[in-house]
Amino acid sequence: MAELIAPSTGRVEAHTADAVNERNRRDTEMRVRGYATRPEAELTRRLQELDAEWDVERCLQTGASMLTLFGTAMGATVSRKWFALPTAVMGFFLQHGVQGWCPPIEVFRRLGVRTADEIAEERYALKALRGDFDDVEPAAATAPGGQ
Amino acid sequence: MAISTAARVAANTDPEVNERIRRRTEQSVLYCAGAGPRAVAERLAEVEREWDVERVIETEAPLMALSGIALGATVHRRFFAVPGVVAAMLFLHAVQGWYPLLPVFRRLGLRTREEIHEERYALKALRGDFAEAAAARGADAQKRADAVLRAVRR
Repeated sequence: MAELIAPSTGRVEAHTADAVNERNRRDTEMRVRGYATRPEAELTRRLQELDAEWDVERCLQTGASMLTLFGTAMGATVSRKWFALPTAVMGFFLQHGVQGWCPPIEVFRRLGVRTADEIAEERYALKALRGDFDDVEPAAATAPGGQ
Repeated sequence: MAISTAARVAANTDPEVNERIRRRTEQSVLYCAGAGPRAVAERLAEVEREWDVERVIETEAPLMALSGIALGATVHRRFFAVPGVVAAMLFLHAVQGWYPLLPVFRRLGLRTREEIHEERYALKALRGDFAEAAAARGADAQKRADAVLRAVRR
């Protein structure tokens, strides 16, 4: 296990099977190559789709909150033993917040749910294809401190 | 029906606070543009570690819920309501974006992942990551796509 408190960027990818990360990379690559030959309007439409895409954090929040609600309701009405469920779910959720891993990560990632960073990679690749970055001047060219 | 992932937090934040966060990002990029490549590299490393608002909620919410369960088991059953309330709020946040502590977190300057990406990719552009892709403009599409992919992954 890496650091106790993982850096924010890449913390979910670090806990995902290499094959799954690699598949997401290749999918992004294929899509970006495909869009390279398409008109701007199509790129813009795809960018809107990416804004709407549910990332892994949003899926986890939904799943964890539903399980916790269910467990709490059962604990209050059926048997206190049910409080073990929200305890386990929230314990793992805390681990996810701090380290980037909890058990459902395995499932969501295999189902192809991407991290916000992976989505951003595709978003900014499409923006670059569209020409959004074409007239940026690198800092080195203008800064007095640059090489 | 569900709000877009990229917009759900900003849509539930006071526009003035969104604007303040935006201006701070702008100032950081402007500063780095003037200060040169070292400043850009240092700021990029900082931005990679920055805790976004989702991560903060995902740490705060379970701490609250677990405390509620512990108090429910040891002090008074009434505390068992806490995990229920926290989970309901978390569900609301996931689906719709609102969260009771969101106004506090946003006023403290916590950014969304998308706001962080905005700065991150602006800094990458300043570093020159996209220069090769810009030069490939008008070249054949596959060369441009390759250059773009190298740029976002650098």
